[in-house]
Amino acid sequence: MDIKAMQKKWLELGTEVEQTDYAKTGYDFSLILAADKVHPLAELMLTEGFYLVFVTAVHALPAIEVVYQFARAGSPRCRVIARTAVRADGTVPTISDVYQGANWHEREVRDFYGVVFAGHPNLVPLILAEEDVDLKPLLKDEKNLKDISALRHVPADAEPEEEKAPATAKKEPAATAAKAAKPQAST
Amino acid sequence: MNVDVLEDERQHHFVLNMGPQHPSTHGVLRVLLKMEGEYVLEAQPVLGYVHRCHERIGEFKPAKSFMPNTARMDYLGALIYNQGYAMLLERAAGIEVPQRAEYIRVITSELNRIQSHLLWYGAYLLDLGAFTPIMYTFDDREHILDILEDVCGSRLTYCYSRVGGVCKDIDDKFIERTRTFIERLRGRFPMYEELVNGNVILQKRMKTVGHYTPEMCARYGVTGPLLRSTGVAYDLRKAEPYSVYPEFDFEVPLEQDGDAWAAFNVRYREIEQSLRIIEQALDKLPEGEVMASKVPKKLKLPQGDYNCSVEAPRGELSYYLVSDGSDIPYRIKVRTPSYSNLSVVPELCKGMLISDVVTSMGGLDLVIPEIDR
Repeated sequence: MDIKAMQKKWLELGTEVEQTDYAKTGYDFSLILAADKVHPLAELMLTEGFYLVFVTAVHALPAIEVVYQFARAGSPRCRVIARTAVRADGTVPTISDVYQGANWHEREVRDFYGVVFAGHPNLVPLILAEEDVDLKPLLKDEKNLKDISALRHVPADAEPEEEKAPATAKKEPAATAAKAAKPQAST
Repeated sequence: MNVDVLEDERQHHFVLNMGPQHPSTHGVLRVLLKMEGEYVLEAQPVLGYVHRCHERIGEFKPAKSFMPNTARMDYLGALIYNQGYAMLLERAAGIEVPQRAEYIRVITSELNRIQSHLLWYGAYLLDLGAFTPIMYTFDDREHILDILEDVCGSRLTYCYSRVGGVCKDIDDKFIERTRTFIERLRGRFPMYEELVNGNVILQKRMKTVGHYTPEMCARYGVTGPLLRSTGVAYDLRKAEPYSVYPEFDFEVPLEQDGDAWAAFNVRYREIEQSLRIIEQALDKLPEGEVMASKVPKKLKLPQGDYNCSVEAPRGELSYYLVSDGSDIPYRIKVRTPSYSNLSVVPELCKGMLISDVVTSMGGLDLVIPEIDR
């Protein structure tokens, strides 16, 4: 596989691609994409021979972020983390029709965070009991909830103070929009 | 014959509950089987019986204190889970581990892997109706448990790795006993091969049962010996070399057929490779400290997300940690191999005989607490 060509394909999909230092983070690429692009990305990854490592989520502001990890069973090593914020109605498209293994991972995320995977064939509790369908145990309470920019790597060359200030300012409008949508996400 | 009976679904389809206390599910796993006579139309695993909220617990205590929890997920690969978690924190905090500690981690992890494979070997054959082999494998396994008990202090749920090294150094007695054990197990291989692997009934029971392909493994995220039984040489110890594994000469056992017999052989041959690694590690074992000198008591992880993947006995184990800069993780996700491996069952077992379901599920080498977490 040609890593350069792969990067180009990701960019064509409209994702934000960032190469990370494997020795420091444990993965090679970080992709940030809109929820609508998740399905095309999954199709691309499967054709390029990636397997699905996991699907999980992180509860942060402005919205819950769904995290996918893909890796390749061959050389050269390529481990990719893809992130997408859930849409205002609390949904993300399912990739379980491309990666059947995502079926359970998505059900688990639904159990723990209440994220609805649109188009999932069987989105019923997997790990939790059926009566705990509304428990959503991994959602943070108000005082522990952090902004997503506080959970990103700080670039080594940038001044931490300067880097953080514009990032939070930029997130402001999105944060208010998602706050309005949050009650819907938890229904 | 009355054709109406065949056409009326209710009369000849029935649902069979395999588990949660079925011996061949190796723990509290339940599989709903929709049957037509002896044939499985649909298989649906039901999980969650031993869910202990490990990921939730991880968000409430300092990252260092999560170490014992890792051992309780996969009780058969506890040392490898310890090692992976320690490596994750070391990667995040940028801590160098002394060489000797790395070697000790590899030696103990590989002993742990052999122990896990031996238990699987015995239990699998027990599932298939051969009672005797488990007595022999448990005898061998007992030696490993004794050796590890001396150095780790426990026999099953180890908590041996620490951030920056291991908690206790190994001594000459450990090395001597390990060497004796390697010799002993090597002496047992001919017996296993004659008693079990060469058995025609066993081979007939396993060959052509279940069929994995590399493409199917990618769709489900199946890793470990099952993936290697399809001819894909993917072992994280080689593909993403961690710790001191690059310094050892070992092979990745491969088979091509992707059936239960191929997976059986891959696992069996891995035992010998682990022995080779241990042997070389004992020969090369450097002197020195087993703990890094400057590990802060309150370990603050720089903000960002970190991933650490290691090769557990059953496949790829990944820890994913999101840190907000404090000593308590914002989020810990543990990707366990059995979870993805088991998710293949609905597709794999469609149309199988029920006795073959037992054969395929045994080949998955399931550890249920690792699936439910």
